[in-house]
Amino acid sequence: MIAISVILILLAILGAPLFAIIATSAMIGTANSDMPLTLMVLDVLRLADMQFLSAIPLFTFAGYLLSESNAPKRLVRMTNAILGWMPGGLAIVCIAACAFFTAFTGASGVTIIALGAILYPALKQDGYGDKFNLGLVTSSGSLGLLFAPSLPLILYGVVAEVSIDDLFLAGIFPGLIMLMMLSGWSLWANRENRKTLNAFSFRELGGALREAIWELPLPFVVLGGIYSGFLAVSEAAAITALYVLIVEVLIMREIRIAELPRILRASMVLVGGILVILAVSIASTSYMINADVPQKLLDFIAGFVSNQTTFLILLLVFLLILGAILDIFSAIVLVVPLILPIAAGYDVHPVHLGIVFLAAMQLGYLTPPVGLNLFIASYRFEKPIMHVYSATFPFLIILLLSVLIITFWPQLSLWLLE
Amino acid sequence: MPSGFRKTLKALDWFGRTVENALLVVLFVFIMLLPIWQIADRELPSISAIIFWPLYKALGSPLGVEELIRLIVFWLAMIAAIAAARDDRHIRIDALSHVLPERAVDVTRVLVDVFAAVVCGVVAWFAYQYVKAESGWGTEVLANTVLSTPAWVAHAILPIAFVLISYRFLILAITKLYEMFRREPVEAAE
Repeated sequence: MIAISVILILLAILGAPLFAIIATSAMIGTANSDMPLTLMVLDVLRLADMQFLSAIPLFTFAGYLLSESNAPKRLVRMTNAILGWMPGGLAIVCIAACAFFTAFTGASGVTIIALGAILYPALKQDGYGDKFNLGLVTSSGSLGLLFAPSLPLILYGVVAEVSIDDLFLAGIFPGLIMLMMLSGWSLWANRENRKTLNAFSFRELGGALREAIWELPLPFVVLGGIYSGFLAVSEAAAITALYVLIVEVLIMREIRIAELPRILRASMVLVGGILVILAVSIASTSYMINADVPQKLLDFIAGFVSNQTTFLILLLVFLLILGAILDIFSAIVLVVPLILPIAAGYDVHPVHLGIVFLAAMQLGYLTPPVGLNLFIASYRFEKPIMHVYSATFPFLIILLLSVLIITFWPQLSLWLLE
Repeated sequence: MPSGFRKTLKALDWFGRTVENALLVVLFVFIMLLPIWQIADRELPSISAIIFWPLYKALGSPLGVEELIRLIVFWLAMIAAIAAARDDRHIRIDALSHVLPERAVDVTRVLVDVFAAVVCGVVAWFAYQYVKAESGWGTEVLANTVLSTPAWVAHAILPIAFVLISYRFLILAITKLYEMFRREPVEAAE
């Protein structure tokens, strides 16, 4: 059994598709416990019974459409009109716009490509140092993961069977802490270059708002609809997808109808990759739960971890290592079902666990060897990967500090739920 | 690769891609419109009756549409997984491709893709066994609605998808092998 696990891990590191690895371990586990392998099929079919799953393809498509239109430009202009008057304004514009955009596009690297291309040259033109710009744009690429309606939040809700509405509320303050700390660092790092971008102008603000008039209602539809109890998450997702489709294709006419199948395919390929992992993970998880793995893990950990604080430290270390190897989606479906009962044993609220999980996994976007943002930025801005890494390092430290605060201050996540 | 074989592969690829795209579009339109029908029926029944009359005619009312949406999402996921295999976009731990020399990366890719093809083949086989057994049980999905269907029909996409994914990984491995021996990409050899 250990030999097989080692071979599977080796194959995974060599680049075998993760769903194939998970399917193999599920099949071997099922066969070892003398159950028919068709039982595993029954587990995989449970994908067809999951609540709210339709929100994932719907929001993903809406995000892809937005990133293919000129919405990123309009978003930057609007953020600039609102925040650009502040000293060091452009850096803050970058952070806020990226966070907003990532919430809608689900942290798949789209942000760096769509917004980085606009912001990186703008920052340079404004006199910011090249290394700072590169680090800022790279680390902003996964910011906003904690804001509704980000894909990882929905996926965590589906997998952990926690209310997605609660998660959407819980992410707000931890997400804001991240934004504020990064903004603070950006101001401090550029204290020599604190010129304001432009004076505040109601005219420019009006112009920017007018230009973005069609996209402005989006956050209100999604958040307002869900928080007011008027819409379920999957309903809000359907409205968002249809609305974005009508606005970008029929009203703004920035995307031709002929392009739609290509964009839909690109977004669904991402969704298919995630959902097939989810499907086989249901099988591997159900085998592990049958074999009492979470309880054994809890007993094992209880041997040397006695209180919640120590558990949270251990959890963070584990998540940081996990985030450096696995992408956020696979990590959620594979690991959450196992650590959920353990965390409950230490009185960690499942919603707080979700926020900690995602916040810690966000750092994984910026750490080698697998950090997605590092590679996308390196490719997009034609810089060596080590250069990108060292440019991102200070931001990584700031984000790490924010993750520590988020982890050990549960009220931050749970305050709005009470 | 003989050019006739390559042409057949290309034609197959074009055909498969077109079918996938068409199915993705149709299924997606349904998961987008069905919830909106539900909301409209709940909030503005008189307007909903006009806009969504074909749906009322076909399905009666939006009651029980959730199960239909879940099944469509399942089919969408499976077809998207086939598309992801064709586009070589399945999620992998991409740690070594930036470190190892190109040749070694190619060799490992062939190895892991053959592994994936075999695993998918095995999953497809057991899924087929399951669906075959299920066809004898007489269970139904969407039971008591106009769309009630034998469960095995709704689940048949699972073995089909895994066979096709297995086939795609095999093609990926063969193409990579071919490139390694020719030391040039297949496209450039046209």
